[in-house]
Amino acid sequence: MSSSVIFPAQPEQILKGLGKLWTSLGQEEKQQGKPTVLRACAMTLIVATDEEDNGYAASQFISELMREHPSRGIVLAVSDKAEHGLEARVLAQCWKPFGKAQQICCEQIEITAKPDSWPNVGPTLIGLTAADLPVIFWCRHRAALSPNATEEQKTGLQAVLDISTKVIIDTNSHDAAAALELVSWLRKNDRIVADLEWTRLTAWRQPIAQIFDNPARSNKFANFRIIEIHHAEDKPSPLALYAAGWLSSISGARVAFRQEKGFGSGLQRIRLLSEEETIEFERTGPECMHLFSTNGRERTYNYSEPSLYSLLHEELSVIGNDPAFDRAFARAQELLHA
Amino acid sequence: MSVVVQPVPEINLLQDPLRFDRRVPPCAVVIFGASGDLSKRKLLPSLYRLFYERRISPSFAVIGSSRTPMSDDQFRDRMKESVSKFLEDAPFDEDIWGSFAQCLFYVPGDLGNPESYDHIRNKLDEVEESHQTAGNVLFYLSTQPSYYAEAVKALGAHGLTKGRGWRRVIIEKPFGHDLQSARKLNEEIHTVLDESNIYRIDHYLGKETVQNILAFRFGNGIFEPLWNRRYVDHVQITAAESIGVEGRGGYYQEAGALRDMIQNHLSQVMATVTMEPPTLFDANNVRDERAKLLRAVRIMKPEDVPKYAVAGQYGPAKVGGQDMPGFRQEPSVDPNAQTDTYAAVTFFIDNWRWAGVPFYIRTGKRMPKRVTDIAIQFKAPPLGLFQQETKSGLREVRPNLLVLRIQPEEGISLRFLSKSPGGGMRVRPVSMDFNYGSSFGERSPTAYETLLLDAMAGDPTLYTRQDMVDASWQIVQPILDAWAQTKFDFPNYPAGSWGPKASDDMLARQGHVWRIP
Repeated sequence: MSSSVIFPAQPEQILKGLGKLWTSLGQEEKQQGKPTVLRACAMTLIVATDEEDNGYAASQFISELMREHPSRGIVLAVSDKAEHGLEARVLAQCWKPFGKAQQICCEQIEITAKPDSWPNVGPTLIGLTAADLPVIFWCRHRAALSPNATEEQKTGLQAVLDISTKVIIDTNSHDAAAALELVSWLRKNDRIVADLEWTRLTAWRQPIAQIFDNPARSNKFANFRIIEIHHAEDKPSPLALYAAGWLSSISGARVAFRQEKGFGSGLQRIRLLSEEETIEFERTGPECMHLFSTNGRERTYNYSEPSLYSLLHEELSVIGNDPAFDRAFARAQELLHA
Repeated sequence: MSVVVQPVPEINLLQDPLRFDRRVPPCAVVIFGASGDLSKRKLLPSLYRLFYERRISPSFAVIGSSRTPMSDDQFRDRMKESVSKFLEDAPFDEDIWGSFAQCLFYVPGDLGNPESYDHIRNKLDEVEESHQTAGNVLFYLSTQPSYYAEAVKALGAHGLTKGRGWRRVIIEKPFGHDLQSARKLNEEIHTVLDESNIYRIDHYLGKETVQNILAFRFGNGIFEPLWNRRYVDHVQITAAESIGVEGRGGYYQEAGALRDMIQNHLSQVMATVTMEPPTLFDANNVRDERAKLLRAVRIMKPEDVPKYAVAGQYGPAKVGGQDMPGFRQEPSVDPNAQTDTYAAVTFFIDNWRWAGVPFYIRTGKRMPKRVTDIAIQFKAPPLGLFQQETKSGLREVRPNLLVLRIQPEEGISLRFLSKSPGGGMRVRPVSMDFNYGSSFGERSPTAYETLLLDAMAGDPTLYTRQDMVDASWQIVQPILDAWAQTKFDFPNYPAGSWGPKASDDMLARQGHVWRIP
């Protein structure tokens, strides 16, 4: 269910549109004589995009994420095709959990801005955030994040950054140096920044950490003085640097990067070497990972390339600071400049 | 008896509690009764799921044991069949199973045969070496309850309760058949095990929504000031099942609803709803408060039992166009059985917080639907400004009602009055809902996954302690004694109904009515 275009896109008009939407959803409830709609909201999730689909893909993503992270979703599509400088549309994303009688509904606002109107979007967004709840900003606007961003894009981006509790970006396919520089810039003023490249590493980090949980293990992590990171790309990607940063920030081990073609992009293998033992985590197929140790232990793990959905799901579950990322990021910067 | 001091775990700097699941140390799990239903339906599927989700240590092994002769491979094949069949809300992955199966072993044996324990010890030594389980062992007694004491004593006699790592024993319900047998069982087990290593399982406490009661009460400041006799009129706890005894007629005939549900699950739920806030959220503090509450429940005098407890048994009926047998017509059930398939009890808690507030607990089989919830009915406002006209001409108010739904639609709702739109001051009850599934869309772990992981991690918060078991038997024992002396005119409610009329009368005497959940 959605409204017609709201113009001008003033917060009051948009909120009025949302009010009407809930009233019409309530009509259904009245007709059926029992509660049929449940409104859910745990955060404001803003997605800015410059994709040519006018925010369609971002909007679809939000509707999927709402099942696990009910939110007031705001899609900000910056596009030349916008009819007015700044226009909006409100809609409800509803779904009925399997076997349940009641629909769960979250509200979504789609704002389309002409590029020259983006800098003016700040006051609109401030009025639209859900009260007393965190504001998460997922920036899919690649041009605004690039070093060549225009003044309008920079001002527009800043307007959203200013109201955000946490910013999510994805440096996948970025050059590692540019990626780390971007993250470093966004982290200024103690802003919480999440890079989905770091999130991709969780599937590797957890089984590695588990190995060293065993008190019976005599060969401790500190004994592994060489760490090899095998990546599919020509040069170490941000993911490979984060992996190296994470491991070496803990042990101070020497890091070596190697290129290795295998299954898909990204990390292929992490090898930890000590005098007595070598431990390897290797991608052995599209859906699995294998742990092998020269002490005779081995195990197959479930591993699939994390989907964008699962990465965002993880990041939306971590609202505050991420100390492990802070340490890994600092060390990755050192490794980059070493 | 000796106090076992657990070593402080080393700090693993690779751990990231923000993103990783809770750490569980390496261990071997020994399941006695491994070919039984519980193992097939719950234990192995839960362990596989924990393995699949990488929530248990890679240094892990399961040793199944039962009388059925089987090789390791035959056990693996059987368990594969069960796990793929009974796995709830989760995919079955052949590759992962292959890796999991490498951790499964089987030792045939009889609990009464001393040699069986030697075989288990040998297998434990073997997996400690091959799977680096660090000498930690979790024994799971999924056997006939009559074997519990014997099995624990044999574990002690064969040196299996001591070793390089920790040794813990999980004991399934029922823990005793009555107060006397529960005490005897405790005494026997304590000759071998320290209380800190005994994990009496009550799977209700492992349910996410039961745990959420504690978060709801003690994580929010707005409800606790109302959580007492000044504001609460009465509390109703309902655990209804739509199914009958489902092939467990023989067992159920001996147990009955009071023993099967109220003595353990529902008394623990009542304690969770009514206990005082613990000073710390740790196992001992939480369990101290639960035990203290159970000790405060008024013990009925024999002459009070007919007034405050009602037994029922379902008779045959047509439900949804289908003929449903009565309890006495179920297979393996005595045609003159005096078993309670329904029990309703009014409890009073004699402490400052709850004095005078009735707690109505009911449970039954073959009820209209499967539902478990706790309804806290608050007192009506002191002045009835918005009383409503009812069909019978009486004027009544609709007091606030807070419902904690345990299953199936897990969540919390608060009923309050709101003005109907339009002229005049007409009010109607509306409901403010929190739905567990919608706010946390992720899959909740099953109760057995939670409890197995807790036991491996050494967290007994959700397990019942000796004093809690003792106290919960004490509160039902007078009812059991009185009912054992009574010849009931059963059946007294038809299948598919909300129970016998006597149960409605019990509430009516206090001026209350059962809600329809």
